[in-house]
Amino acid sequence: MKEIPISKRNIIVAIILAVVIALGIIAIQALPLHNRSQSSVSNQEDNLASKAAVSALQAFFHVDYRNEKETWLNDVCAESTPTGCQLITAGADAMWSKFQAGKADVTATVTPQEKVAETATEQVWKMLVTLSAPLPGSNKIQDTAYVAVVKTDNGWKFDRFLLEPEIKAILARQAMTVTPVKEGK
Amino acid sequence: MKKFILVLTLLALLIPSAVHAQEQNPWGEVFDSNGNLRSDLTDLGVTTEHPDWMSVDLPFGQSLNLNADYHRYQTANGNIVVLPSASTLFFMAMNPQESGLANSVGMMGNGYGGLITFLGAVAGNNIDWGRLSAEHPEYKSPDQFWGAVLNGQQDVWTYFSGWGFITTLLQMSWNDTALRTAYLMYLNGAQNCASIPGGCSGVVTPTLPQPKICPDPTVSIQQPTISIQKTAPSNPLVVGQDTENRRGADVIAKVTIPPVIFTWHEPIYEDREVCEPSAVVGGAPVCRTESFFKECREHVEHLPDAVASLQATAALDAASQAWITGKLGQTHYGAYVHQANFTLIPGLGSWSGGCDGGGTCTATGQALKVPFADPGTFNLRLNVVTTGTRFMGISITQPRQLSADGTFQVYVTLPALVP
Repeated sequence: MKEIPISKRNIIVAIILAVVIALGIIAIQALPLHNRSQSSVSNQEDNLASKAAVSALQAFFHVDYRNEKETWLNDVCAESTPTGCQLITAGADAMWSKFQAGKADVTATVTPQEKVAETATEQVWKMLVTLSAPLPGSNKIQDTAYVAVVKTDNGWKFDRFLLEPEIKAILARQAMTVTPVKEGK
Repeated sequence: MKKFILVLTLLALLIPSAVHAQEQNPWGEVFDSNGNLRSDLTDLGVTTEHPDWMSVDLPFGQSLNLNADYHRYQTANGNIVVLPSASTLFFMAMNPQESGLANSVGMMGNGYGGLITFLGAVAGNNIDWGRLSAEHPEYKSPDQFWGAVLNGQQDVWTYFSGWGFITTLLQMSWNDTALRTAYLMYLNGAQNCASIPGGCSGVVTPTLPQPKICPDPTVSIQQPTISIQKTAPSNPLVVGQDTENRRGADVIAKVTIPPVIFTWHEPIYEDREVCEPSAVVGGAPVCRTESFFKECREHVEHLPDAVASLQATAALDAASQAWITGKLGQTHYGAYVHQANFTLIPGLGSWSGGCDGGGTCTATGQALKVPFADPGTFNLRLNVVTTGTRFMGISITQPRQLSADGTFQVYVTLPALVP
């Protein structure tokens, strides 16, 4: 049997390497799915999905009261799933009346901030929307929108704005992921 | 295919075979023994509203108000059955308190079991069951989880792992309005319609029970006065023998009908506001206006019973006819009855009538210079038919037939040889 001499230094280096690798694996697993500080998308699907969200929100918040409601709806629906288009259409009358009464003439700049959830065919994006002027009933020109986009046969399309309890649930989930639970054990 | 299976599942929930009409079971007012909707249900139609719990908040203070719509039926006992559309039912299940779902007595047949099945069908594939079971091992089955959601003990939104199913659900509701899977029962919903889904639109307000203390209506009919008689001349001669040229005789008919006295009692109600504490802690009281019985108000109506038709006739009696052809014929050869029967009114004469403001009706008919050509006794006959009485479109008394008789003599002068 041949003896292989291993120096104490090599053993220490090996142990350090093992610890570093293990910590690396743990760190990767513990990392949130999406890096909050990184606003740019990291892969092709995310890029397409976020672009779909940007296009839809720009269309949705591009309001010119002088136009017909149908013109606005057509622009929004071109960026939406059929069901998403139907959802917006269902509530469009009241919304457009409000826009016309307030003589809304607004354009929007939209920046994807973060992909906050996803499935194989759906993504939820947090978007920063900046308006050229406030919309009727509000004095804000900057706000956050949480939108669901769906992968369809025609590519990624806007589906809907998330409901308030859905947003709260996603934010709560993120907080639990980012902040390790300290249970003292 | 998945959507087709989902629709089949939802439609399967509609089968009312599990419902057994029982007297104590309010569902017995809804379905017959064959599981069909009872024919005495009042179909209230579809009601649409925009509740806060179906509003989608958008950035910049905007909102997208979705329609909540319900097809509703009212039972004979004033219970209301509500059939929400699929999307409305989903949002009701997600907001059981705000939507009023919690106030219903459950779904047809098996309480909330059907609703749990519904939720499993429309949203079950979009729940992160792995994470749910890790965080809530107390739920041994999905049904227990959905039951906790419906009881308001569990927030469902935390465990949704998909988002597109909500718009798909909404699209199903829009494209198939008949896709209503849940029958929700609201006991006494007609009385408390302001607090049920869809509100009071179309709800038939239950009729107030007639108070027993009001007496039944009464009708008093007074006897009319009716007559027919010869008025002139005092001793009429057969025409040809009278001093005037064919004077004949005048016959007058008269009828006076007192009003029918109809006494009825009107129940008088007064409106009072009734308030009940809010079901929500700290909420404003729920008030409604209810009618309460106050008194019986007596009404006395004098209803006119007018003359509808009047007929008068005169007929030579049989004894007179026999005397003419018998005894008179022996002394005056060829004596015969010229005209035994006369139709006086209408015919030779006419009648007119009317009613005064007190409800008394009169009619007078006359036939003047009737050419009675035969001597003897004439029998007069007067027949009157009234219109009957009505009040506020309701028949109070039927038409009456009245009659009166009279007689008078027509004379003849006969020459006689005095030896």
